[in-house]
Amino acid sequence: MAATRRLQKELNDIRQSGLKSFRDIQVDESNILTWQGLIVPDNSPYNKGAFRIEINFPAEYPFKPPKISFKTKIYHPNIDEKGQVCLPIISAENWKPATKTDQVIQALVALVNDPEPEHPLRAELAEEFLKDRKKFTKNAEEFTKKHSEKRPSD
Amino acid sequence: MNSKSETDEASRGSEASSSKTSAPDNTEEESTSGLCSNTVTDHTQDIMKRAAAKQLIERYFYQLLDGCGKPNCDNKYCASSGEARNLSPNEAAAEAIKLFYKEARLCDTLPNKVPRTESSPCHSSSSTTCNTSSAKDKEDNKEKEEAPESNPTSSKESTSKEMEPETSHNVTHQEEPKTRSYNSKNQMLLRLINNNYGAPLTEESMYQLCEDCLQTKVRQPLIKALGEAFTTPATLARSFACKVVENNEAIPGKSSDKESKAMCLSSDPDKDVDSVTGPELDVASCRRAFQYLAKVPSENYSSALVTALKTLADNMLIDLRITKKLLMDDAVNCFVIAFEVPDLGCSDYLEIALPALCHAAEHLSVKGQAKLARIWAQHCKDSLRHILETLQQLITLRVISTNYTRSFQVQDDEVVTCATKFMKIVYYANMLAGSMESNSLREEPIVINNQQDPLENVLGHLYPPTSMKGSKHAQPDDPLAIELDIHVLDARKPYLPFEEFYNEPLSDTIEMDIDFGNFKTEISKGKKFAFLKYPFILTVATKSLGLYYENRIRMYSERRVSLLHAVVGAAPPMPFLRLKVRRSHIIDDALVGLEMVAMERALDLKKQLVVEFEGEQGVDEGGVSKEFFQLIVEEIFNPDYGMFTQQPDSLTVWFNMTSFETEAQFTLIGIVLGLAIYNNVILAVNFPMVVYRKLMGKKGSFEDLADWNPTLYNGLKDMLEYDGSDLEEAYYQTFRICYQDVFGNAIFHDLKEDGDNIFVTQENKKEFVELYSNFLLNDSVDTQFRAFRRGFLMVTDESPLAVLFRPEEVEMLVCGSRNFDFNELEKSTEYDGGYTSDSQTIKDFWSIVHSLSLDDKRKLLQFTTGSDRVPVGGLSHLKLVIARNGPDSDRLPTAHTCFNVLLLPEYETKDKLQDRLMKAINYSKGFGML
Repeated sequence: MAATRRLQKELNDIRQSGLKSFRDIQVDESNILTWQGLIVPDNSPYNKGAFRIEINFPAEYPFKPPKISFKTKIYHPNIDEKGQVCLPIISAENWKPATKTDQVIQALVALVNDPEPEHPLRAELAEEFLKDRKKFTKNAEEFTKKHSEKRPSD
Repeated sequence: MNSKSETDEASRGSEASSSKTSAPDNTEEESTSGLCSNTVTDHTQDIMKRAAAKQLIERYFYQLLDGCGKPNCDNKYCASSGEARNLSPNEAAAEAIKLFYKEARLCDTLPNKVPRTESSPCHSSSSTTCNTSSAKDKEDNKEKEEAPESNPTSSKESTSKEMEPETSHNVTHQEEPKTRSYNSKNQMLLRLINNNYGAPLTEESMYQLCEDCLQTKVRQPLIKALGEAFTTPATLARSFACKVVENNEAIPGKSSDKESKAMCLSSDPDKDVDSVTGPELDVASCRRAFQYLAKVPSENYSSALVTALKTLADNMLIDLRITKKLLMDDAVNCFVIAFEVPDLGCSDYLEIALPALCHAAEHLSVKGQAKLARIWAQHCKDSLRHILETLQQLITLRVISTNYTRSFQVQDDEVVTCATKFMKIVYYANMLAGSMESNSLREEPIVINNQQDPLENVLGHLYPPTSMKGSKHAQPDDPLAIELDIHVLDARKPYLPFEEFYNEPLSDTIEMDIDFGNFKTEISKGKKFAFLKYPFILTVATKSLGLYYENRIRMYSERRVSLLHAVVGAAPPMPFLRLKVRRSHIIDDALVGLEMVAMERALDLKKQLVVEFEGEQGVDEGGVSKEFFQLIVEEIFNPDYGMFTQQPDSLTVWFNMTSFETEAQFTLIGIVLGLAIYNNVILAVNFPMVVYRKLMGKKGSFEDLADWNPTLYNGLKDMLEYDGSDLEEAYYQTFRICYQDVFGNAIFHDLKEDGDNIFVTQENKKEFVELYSNFLLNDSVDTQFRAFRRGFLMVTDESPLAVLFRPEEVEMLVCGSRNFDFNELEKSTEYDGGYTSDSQTIKDFWSIVHSLSLDDKRKLLQFTTGSDRVPVGGLSHLKLVIARNGPDSDRLPTAHTCFNVLLLPEYETKDKLQDRLMKAINYSKGFGML
């Protein structure tokens, strides 16, 4: 398969590293520019499930940042209904080509575990998160149970 | 050894000690570093030399015998110091001759008559230093600051000091003509010498003069020094020389000033570099000298300086034009110095000195101008803005204050034209001072053949100037640009933005028809002045007017030719380029139609375009073709059409590198773009700037990525700036890159052979970036772009477009400016049919318009003018007319797009007006008879 070395290497590295929080990485052999994987958060209320994400690498990668979107619905102030996520490390302004995908994924996992209500994509969730944490946690847990994927057994 | 001031000695000693060389005792060396200008000069006639020598020896003689009269004289060669032996007159005479060769210190005569402060008139024509110890100390301190390093000549200075006492008291007094007879004679002689040659200024002498002037409030010495130095080009050229010339005996008086020598040496180290290549001028020193001058209140010297500059300019003019005596380098030095003069801020400078200088510069050879530009670019970057502003001020002032008539045009005004010519040197210096690209990155020239008019030879004599043809070849490149080997396309980022060269008052004053006429005749005869030859000074709007004339004349000439053809019976008369299209198949019809023309007679493309929509009555006086362009551009650049893609980051369109369209279709797009410029139509295309640069003949390179794909540009730049040694590891990038076709498939491309195995390292990252940019901007779209450019050139190849406009300006021609200023539009709008700006309907109209969203404003523009773009020069150039279309009625507003007229019935209420207006702009398309 023709591919750039960088992506091939990053893919191999991530697969070998055996990250607990990002697993089940699937790459379409005909298009190495799109990856899918399962985010497995540790913190409540998201630790009841797992979330499928898709990473889209631009053709110009690593000189342009990848884009990440959630395929699984999630009740989270920083992730909107369409699954779009705003991650500073991969914004066009902040992107550094030397940044590796596993760093990006770790940043994403950290964001899922600890929402940042100061920079929300869903203002109403952020407000709820700040003002009524109990209610937020309850809603999020229910939502996770209803929509998220099963966590890997190990 | 002597009783010289201790501090003085100490400072000198410390400064000189580090690089002391063997004590030179020979007279030759001494004479070069001699103390008086009048001792040794090559230029002086022998007699004068001898007389001067005699006078000096006389002075030594009297000094030894009688002393200077100062009670505590510290000169050991002076009788007043008490250190000198008592000599008999004969001994004294012998000693005097010895001292003369040694150039020992001479005391001032009768210093006790001279008050301390006034005792340093520093008659710079003799370039002597001053004798007040306070001034001297100061000077020394300063010298210490500015000349801390040791250098060869200061060692010489110290040795000479040890061998014989330094002189600092040898000032000749202007104010005391009645001292001893020998002294006054000496004075006269000095003056004689200086009248011939003047004394070049040095940083040190300037400092001294300025200090004195500040302290004593006596301005004459300063004025005199400036006057004498500035009036003679040969003298001025040798002012502020750097050390290479320093030891040159040819400079009278220069070497006498030891202080100044140290100063000169202390100037920027990089001066050594250019002293090799030629400019003996020490610009940094010169600038410092003028900084001192600037501290002196300018009323003290400005008028004198203006007069001096004027004389200088006149002298240079004569020298350059007639006698040819002045060396080119000298002249260049003069200009550099003259334009370093601090802001005089008086009108005389602008009105008298500056025009004269510009006038003189006109006669500087191309090589000289090139050299001036190079010196400016290298050493005077900071001065460029000031020089440019002064020139702009001059031109603006002149243009505003003069009444030009048909018989005395701005082109005949020498002040303006000379300043414009001079500004050209600044223009090139500005480019050189900025960042330039190698001029190897040129697009291959595309030769448009099949342009030959088959009847040209036959009709040649009937229709004499088949003039427009081949005029391209008759427009030689600017000789200065050739000499400097630069082209405006190579200037990636000029030091000052190009916009600062625009002179709006001038642009508004120029009668473009006349200027255009001059421009054309100048090509053949080279006599009349045309501002179009200096396009940098003209605003885009003015230049586009010039282009408009060019295009109209060409259109008419094509019409005439076709008429002639008809008379001869060769071809059916086709005075216009007529296109008939169906609204439903606009692209197909247009492309087929244009393709036919392009294949059969590409020359017809240069006729005026007349578009006809099938089944509509609109007669094309401009409006119909405007809509035609609008519609065609809308479709072609629609990504669904597949010829162009949209760049997501920058919202610009780019050639689809995997397009299935044929080359011919890209050629046709090029023709459409060319036709739009040619027919003065603004298009809503959003090309990145690199497209225009490529159209003008410059290949795309890394810097072009900045507006083409900013994110990618930043990523690559980040890599270029990455300086860690682990670049290979961190980036893991090879010379294989990836791109996507329109369907999102990843396609890989090796920038080099076997690129997948070559890693990008610190060493080759630059190469990688260059290859990558080249691939993206040039190679990957080569076929498409070449076809596109070919089409564009088919229409515009003979027009002066490339000569007059920079790529940024071409973009403005094509797309219009992007500034929607409706207040400007309101101000420039005219009213007709009974409306005035005070009519209630008009007032309502504007209050409605100003409250519209940008989108609706665009629609309104589209409705009234046929294009939602802002014309070149802003909305005020739209010439919108609002005409009353009868009393209140239910009719909708209508518009004549070709004349930008909006027909507005006088509606009863504001609400009704708003309602009708919104309906009109939202549901309009198509033409109909009213």
